[in-house]
Amino acid sequence: MKRYFANTHFKRLMSSVAAMAILELMTGPPGSALDPTAGFTGSFGEASSFFGLFRTQRWVVFLFIAFIMFGLWTSWLTWGAQVKTATTKAMSVPRSVSHKQPVRWGVTLVLLVVALLLPHLITDPFWQAAMVEQIAVYVLLALGLNVVVGFAGLLDLGFVAFYAIGAYTTAWVTGALPTAAPFGIHFNNFYAIPIAIGLAMGAGIILGAPTLRLRGDYLAIVTLGFGEIITIFANNLYGITGGSQGTKTIPHFSLHVGPVKYLWGLTPVPYYYLTIVFVILFLIGFRLLEHSRVGRAWTAIREDEVAAESVGINPLKYKVMAFAIGASTAGFAGVVTASQSNTIFPSSFTLQFSINILVLVIFGGMGSITGVVLGAIVIQTGSMYLLHTPPAGYQPQDLYIYLGALLVVMMIFRPAGLVPSRRRHREIGLAEAGEGHMDEVLTGDTP
Amino acid sequence: MKPRLNKTVAAVATSALLLMAVPAVGIASTSGASAKPTYTIGYQGPLSGGNQQLGLNMVNAVQLAINQANASGKLPFKLKLATYDDQGDPTIAPTQAQAAIANKNVVAIVGPAFSGATAASEPFYHKYHLATVSPSATNPALATNHWNNFFRVVADDSVQGPADANYVVQKLNKTKVYVVNDGTSYGSGVAQAFAAQATKDHATVTPATVPGTSQCQNGTASSTEYTAAAAQVVANGATALFYGGYYCDLGLFLGQLQSAGYTGIVMSDDGALSPALIQNTTPASAANGVYLTCACASSTNKSFNRAYQGLAHFSAANATYAPESYDATNAIIAAMKKLHKITRAGIVAQLHRLSMKGMTKTIRFLPNGNIAGTAIYVNQVKNGKIVQLGLE
Amino acid sequence: MWEGPGFSPALPFLITLSTDRSRGAQLGAFGHYLTGHFATLRLEFWALFVGGLANGVLYGMVAVGYTLVYGVLRLINFAHSEIFMSGGFAGYFVMKAMVGNSVPSGFASVSFIVIGILVGAFVGAFMATLVERVAYRPLRRRHAPALAYLISAIGASYFLYNMAGKEFGRVPISMPQPYINHPIFHIFNAPVQMYYVIILIAGAVMFLTLDRIVAKTKLGRSIRAVAQDAETASLMGVNIDRTIVLTFIVGGALGGAAGFLFGMGTGVSNTMGFVPALKAFTAAVLGGIGNLRGAMIGGFLLGVVESLSVVFVQAAYMDVVAFGILVAVLLFRPTGILGERLGRAA
Repeated sequence: MKRYFANTHFKRLMSSVAAMAILELMTGPPGSALDPTAGFTGSFGEASSFFGLFRTQRWVVFLFIAFIMFGLWTSWLTWGAQVKTATTKAMSVPRSVSHKQPVRWGVTLVLLVVALLLPHLITDPFWQAAMVEQIAVYVLLALGLNVVVGFAGLLDLGFVAFYAIGAYTTAWVTGALPTAAPFGIHFNNFYAIPIAIGLAMGAGIILGAPTLRLRGDYLAIVTLGFGEIITIFANNLYGITGGSQGTKTIPHFSLHVGPVKYLWGLTPVPYYYLTIVFVILFLIGFRLLEHSRVGRAWTAIREDEVAAESVGINPLKYKVMAFAIGASTAGFAGVVTASQSNTIFPSSFTLQFSINILVLVIFGGMGSITGVVLGAIVIQTGSMYLLHTPPAGYQPQDLYIYLGALLVVMMIFRPAGLVPSRRRHREIGLAEAGEGHMDEVLTGDTP
Repeated sequence: MKPRLNKTVAAVATSALLLMAVPAVGIASTSGASAKPTYTIGYQGPLSGGNQQLGLNMVNAVQLAINQANASGKLPFKLKLATYDDQGDPTIAPTQAQAAIANKNVVAIVGPAFSGATAASEPFYHKYHLATVSPSATNPALATNHWNNFFRVVADDSVQGPADANYVVQKLNKTKVYVVNDGTSYGSGVAQAFAAQATKDHATVTPATVPGTSQCQNGTASSTEYTAAAAQVVANGATALFYGGYYCDLGLFLGQLQSAGYTGIVMSDDGALSPALIQNTTPASAANGVYLTCACASSTNKSFNRAYQGLAHFSAANATYAPESYDATNAIIAAMKKLHKITRAGIVAQLHRLSMKGMTKTIRFLPNGNIAGTAIYVNQVKNGKIVQLGLE
Repeated sequence: MWEGPGFSPALPFLITLSTDRSRGAQLGAFGHYLTGHFATLRLEFWALFVGGLANGVLYGMVAVGYTLVYGVLRLINFAHSEIFMSGGFAGYFVMKAMVGNSVPSGFASVSFIVIGILVGAFVGAFMATLVERVAYRPLRRRHAPALAYLISAIGASYFLYNMAGKEFGRVPISMPQPYINHPIFHIFNAPVQMYYVIILIAGAVMFLTLDRIVAKTKLGRSIRAVAQDAETASLMGVNIDRTIVLTFIVGGALGGAAGFLFGMGTGVSNTMGFVPALKAFTAAVLGGIGNLRGAMIGGFLLGVVESLSVVFVQAAYMDVVAFGILVAVLLFRPTGILGERLGRAA
């Protein structure tokens, strides 16, 4: 009996069956407190069609899929290495082309044109609105958090605080808070941009300066606490923020320079262009930063803080800088959100939100700007797609079940993210070869 | 909801797709050909995320009303439901509102469910003359924006709070009142109105915010805070406590109040008026004596409860805002019946003229969209059952 | 405009004032407010203290799970909140089956509670091994970076609590009570509830057992050895994989038992783990993460201080106080109150 359990084929088969059983539960009918077994019995026992061929029960279908999975898995173990080398060989020519400078510029240009034309290609109002509120803003936030987590290697679980600061600053500057606007003047939203970015950066410095001396995990909990504290204050300072009742109406952006008059309104497309301009600015800025002295200093600190310090890098200074720069994008994202949605409520700024942004960054590929942008676009577009056009059988309340499973699977098979940063990739490679200490996680003696 | 068969097939198809192993074969569902035109009633509210239970409560009731209307055979048209899940989040709400507006078949919306989401969505709905009948958005400020398409079938906080205060201070003669709110937009709104009126009635008012807990899904605090909050209420010496918030958190609070030795009365709002309050209170006896007020007569409609249970697989009695959603949907259907040519603007106009007997109350809207009639009923928990005492 | 109690825009830094004191503040007499406040404090102190201590014991029990895993693996087990939740649900179903609508007392109460704790602990330990197996071990084999573990744990946490919501409903359920809650005795007029006594006794038993296990047994020695220096421990014949699993089992058992005890007082729901676990994590960091006694002390301290803080601030600001203490402690003692030292002495 024990021999069977030790058999790798048997183990693999059992894993396939278990994975399918979980998938069955995920896609099955829900249960309830009164009937806690309904979900389980329904998931396995409910009548189902065997790919349209004949009528049977769900478990038969999934068992069949588990066998297929087992087969694929086994054949991957046999031929996987060959497939991999073949792919690498086949990709080597396109890779060498894509590494050429003019090609990269060309691709960038094409992407830029596509980004600018996007609102004319996609005319569905849901997607137009989602492009700004749910995708572009999240891209911004992920870019900012990437500076903190990816470049400088600092775990920040309270990123939402800076977003909230940006949003509430907008409300303050435009006179939508119970507190008087600065100098009693209701400024245009454009003035909110520098003020919000400045305040978010200031908050980053104030939070960072004392706490960035702390090691990674301590920093995580302190930033988490900061995020919670900002939300609690926003929710309870009725006289300042409007509390849980939210702010008053925040005006839209408007431009009034000489003869040019323009008012951003309810339609999302103008906001899209406004946001995309800033996304591009931040992209260029961060790309330059990554390869500058500062970027190299961050890498050095991330890889070995003691060594970095010994060559004359002041870690605290650069860490605070990363914090402040990361915060600035969140501040700007806050301005866009506040202006476009006209009212803000503290309930939008939760820990869950911070974690979701972190997920975008790590899913996309920490430290890789391309990866982070792609990660944000993929996850946000995916969840928006499910929100907008739920496939039959998909229950919207189950979104986080799928997302959770996706994250676990992704981390098992692609821990460096969708598009790993080259440097990170190398670090992981070194760690796998046992030549460097990637991080502090104990790997154990599992083969 | 949808037939199980399709759901299962789709689930299989999805998993097959995930595996990318086998091609999925779906069974195309064909709807029966019908000469009647089909219109869609939208529902906007939280169907995923932290507040989804409230949304599920509502959407089942909307579906029930639509099913019953279709089954009645009296309609010159067929109705369909489209859901727009805003997660109760004001930042997602406008996106979904625009999706609803873009769907030319949508003639009216039940919702948005939350005040915040309503405030964020209404500018869009207003621009496109799409009527929205909210079963649950109670923020008084919503009715002051001159949105002529905005309606709600619940009384706003400024009606209920003062009535409750008068009842506690003048009828029950309690002059030292502790006013707790749960930090949500709804709870703090009612509590604020209550505190203002109680102060006017010369009662000593002690306000406090005890935020909703994560256990109840619309808060982030820990339920351990109720231990401390209850100790404070007792130390304060208040003889009455008003709770602005939902049943779930109140249930946790009541248990701690009893433990702390509080002997005064407790009153709460319609967000707490649910038999689930008693199931949710540990020990259940701590809920006895609690006053619960509502701008609605108690909805002990047996046939509704039975039909709801059949559809939703959980009891309507536990489903906060389900009766209101049912009424909101029926109000829209009633307005549609009066129109020869159904247009969005036409429904808005008809809703302004509507007067119908709903399940919770008579549905008639004021020009600003608020429900007419400010009768507040008071209920009390007696031996584990909610009993209606009468008008305040 | 709704003004929070004690808050006026002119005094933005007195936002934390509680109600009675705000009257003093409005008079502008700081002394008045202080004296007024300490009178209230005396009245409430013991009630708040006992409640806070009970919460603190629960925080401590959960914090132990964080600290053990951190000590051995150097990572934060973000899925620990769901282990807590699974213990709560397991306890609920057992109580529903055993107690139902009856009102047990005496010996029956005691045995039901013990069974509940054991079942909660068992299911918690089981879930913890499952999480280790699915979300951590494959990553260890692949030498994934530290943040990958974090994301994997967050994924497991999302998956588990939403799955629980799907299967058991997303509304909180009150647990059938295996005992009758009533004040047992009074400390300075403050009633001490049966519930708190149960938690305190259960907590004391579990902490003492755990402390002895880690200090004296072979298992404890191997945990400490791996925490101190995994490579050397492995050379000395300690099976690292086994030790890691056992660490998860011990931490999970305590977390699950805490979940049952918590659920007994306030009912169970799929999101019940989130905030208590967050507080417990704070407590673990406060005491010095990786340090067992630190986790317990951090738990007690956080529970009590948080509870007493409502005398000075509104309950809404309780979390602000909790995190404020954490920041303050970390600024002066960057490795927590007792420091990190699971390896050296437990």
